[in-house]
Amino acid sequence: MHSLIVNEWIKIFKRPGTYVMIGLLVLAVIATGTLNKVYGEQNPTVNPQWEQQVQQQIAQDQKQMSELPPTAATYKKNLQRQIAINQYRLEHKIPPDNEATGWTFIQDSTALISFAGLFTIIVAAGIVASEFGWGTVKLLLIRPIKRSKILLSKYLTVILFGLMMLVILFGSAAILGFALFGTGDGNTTHLAYANGSVVEQNMLLYLIKTYFLASIDVMMITTMAFMISAVFRNSSLAVGLSIFLLMVGGQITTLIATRYDWAKYSLFANTNLTQYTDGVPLVEGMTVSFSIIMLLIYFLVFQLLAFGVFTKRDVAA
Amino acid sequence: MSNPVVELKHVTKVIKGKKIIDDLSFTIEEGEVFGFLGPNGAGKTTTIRMIVGLMGITSGEIMICGHNVKSEFEDALQHIGGIVENPELYKFLTGYQNLMQYARMVKGISKQKIDEVVEFVGLTERIHDKVKTYSLGMRQRLGLAQSLLHDPKVMILDEPTNGLDPAGIKEIRDHLKKLTKEKGMSVIVSSHLLSEMEMMCDRIAIIQQGKLVDIQQVHDYVQDSKQKYFFEVDLKKAAAILKNLPISYKRGENGIEVDLEKEEVPDMIQFFVEKGIRIFEVKPLAKTLEDRFFEVTTQGEKVHA
Ligand SMILES: Nc1ncnc2c1ncn2[C@@H]1O[C@H](COP(=O)(O)OP(=O)(O)OP(=O)(O)O)[C@@H](O)[C@H]1O
Ligand SMILES: [Mg+2]
Repeated sequence: MHSLIVNEWIKIFKRPGTYVMIGLLVLAVIATGTLNKVYGEQNPTVNPQWEQQVQQQIAQDQKQMSELPPTAATYKKNLQRQIAINQYRLEHKIPPDNEATGWTFIQDSTALISFAGLFTIIVAAGIVASEFGWGTVKLLLIRPIKRSKILLSKYLTVILFGLMMLVILFGSAAILGFALFGTGDGNTTHLAYANGSVVEQNMLLYLIKTYFLASIDVMMITTMAFMISAVFRNSSLAVGLSIFLLMVGGQITTLIATRYDWAKYSLFANTNLTQYTDGVPLVEGMTVSFSIIMLLIYFLVFQLLAFGVFTKRDVAA
Repeated sequence: MSNPVVELKHVTKVIKGKKIIDDLSFTIEEGEVFGFLGPNGAGKTTTIRMIVGLMGITSGEIMICGHNVKSEFEDALQHIGGIVENPELYKFLTGYQNLMQYARMVKGISKQKIDEVVEFVGLTERIHDKVKTYSLGMRQRLGLAQSLLHDPKVMILDEPTNGLDPAGIKEIRDHLKKLTKEKGMSVIVSSHLLSEMEMMCDRIAIIQQGKLVDIQQVHDYVQDSKQKYFFEVDLKKAAAILKNLPISYKRGENGIEVDLEKEEVPDMIQFFVEKGIRIFEVKPLAKTLEDRFFEVTTQGEKVHA
């Protein structure tokens, strides 16, 4: 298996397109960093009256909450969370971290995960389909190795590639972030709100977790792209459909969720696991375990389709 | 000769309700070159795809060195090296990197082995160039190299001489001869070029419309007592003289073709000389399978009609 993955890895990295993708990703980080630096608020010192400000904010939020109609449950929960965190700040004397630091830059760079995901999807979409396109699939499949092993090595390579893109994103965001914005005042805790209480988290761990959680949808769509690639042997179809879903899948699901409960069974309703820790569920009654089970079901369906079709099909390319 | 390396037993392939291969059975012995002959669309490539596991077998079974291709894929394929239609390789890799890809997929292939194979196919000078800069002949050589890496017992080559010039064809022929003689490999070659097949093969199976029509030792008809000889002579003069003799001949270009036994050749030359006919060239024509082939295949068509 190891040597099969080495083979796939070489095939990816002997093509110049791969370096263009990596370059574009780093460039995107540099661009957002530079824009933030030039146009962002320069607010290096903590406002000495921050406690007053926070108190005002709490009062305002509480007032708003009492005025809300009972139907706006989601919004109410958001306010509740904000109030709880602010109260925690007052109690423990932690000023709000609205100051731009390397840490916040890394966090903001999660917005670029879908960009990294885009490239991973392109790789996933091509990894089976291009072998058919090149005609090399014939020589690949007449080795004394089961087709399922070859397909698995390809899938693992895609996942490794995705991880590498994430590490590159995280790493370049960290280097650039700390270089441009510094490390802040050394206050490296993150306040999270879960199950009605506020907890402090180590910033680095929190960021890694955030990256991981933010990558779930990308991972799932990558798996889907891989499946389409293996089933239809057509990389354009795989890229097109997957990127379309990556771009608008979330919004469409949110839209449907405002009207219909069944939206909770869709893939995108479940990819955002942070809704359970740092937010509120899309549809009332959804739980973490429900989402994880849904994700597993989707994952299994994609893999069954990919492996089922790929190992059975006649190769006539 | 009782050691089949490849065995097809009642192999049938149905694609979309159409019978492409119909109850095909034959065996290939150790060290023999087996030709697979048939017109376009006869099902040669389809059969080869089934042998190497690229296509499923609708019914029947294929055994390679005693292993079933379907149920013991890895054990069976270990003994097979091959090229199916054109050897498509990774164009963005060098020849060497391509070979490395395949070397990594089987245990125990050393760098030395790779170099040896490269040397064997005569690609040493260009092996570190990208495959996209290769000519078709060089890609065929690389394809051959790829199939030899793991010392297979059976080589399967689908139209290996496709697009090669005569020198290239001869080279492939020499390679195959070497492989069977030196390493005891068996070879399956498919082609629709008859003359080529009889020069390479020990045995030839003719298939048509997915059915085996005939299977023969090449030997049997090449070592026939009579052989065709070509005499380059003045056609008109020769024809005028031969007309009165009980010799059957065929007019060729710039000469005549006659079926003769070897012993009769000097007599024939002497005869022409005596009659004052100038002889420019005499050569044996490789007795082609062509007649046999058309005989058999047209019979087959009649049966179908
Ligand atoms: N994937 C497929 N779907 C439908 N029909 C097919 C498929 N592959 C092959 N055939 C049909 O099977 C028959 C045999 O094809 P095959 O490629 O095996 O012939 P061949 O003997 O290799 O011919 P050639 O000398 O042209 O290479 C043809 O009639 C072809 O149309
Ligand atoms: Mg063919």
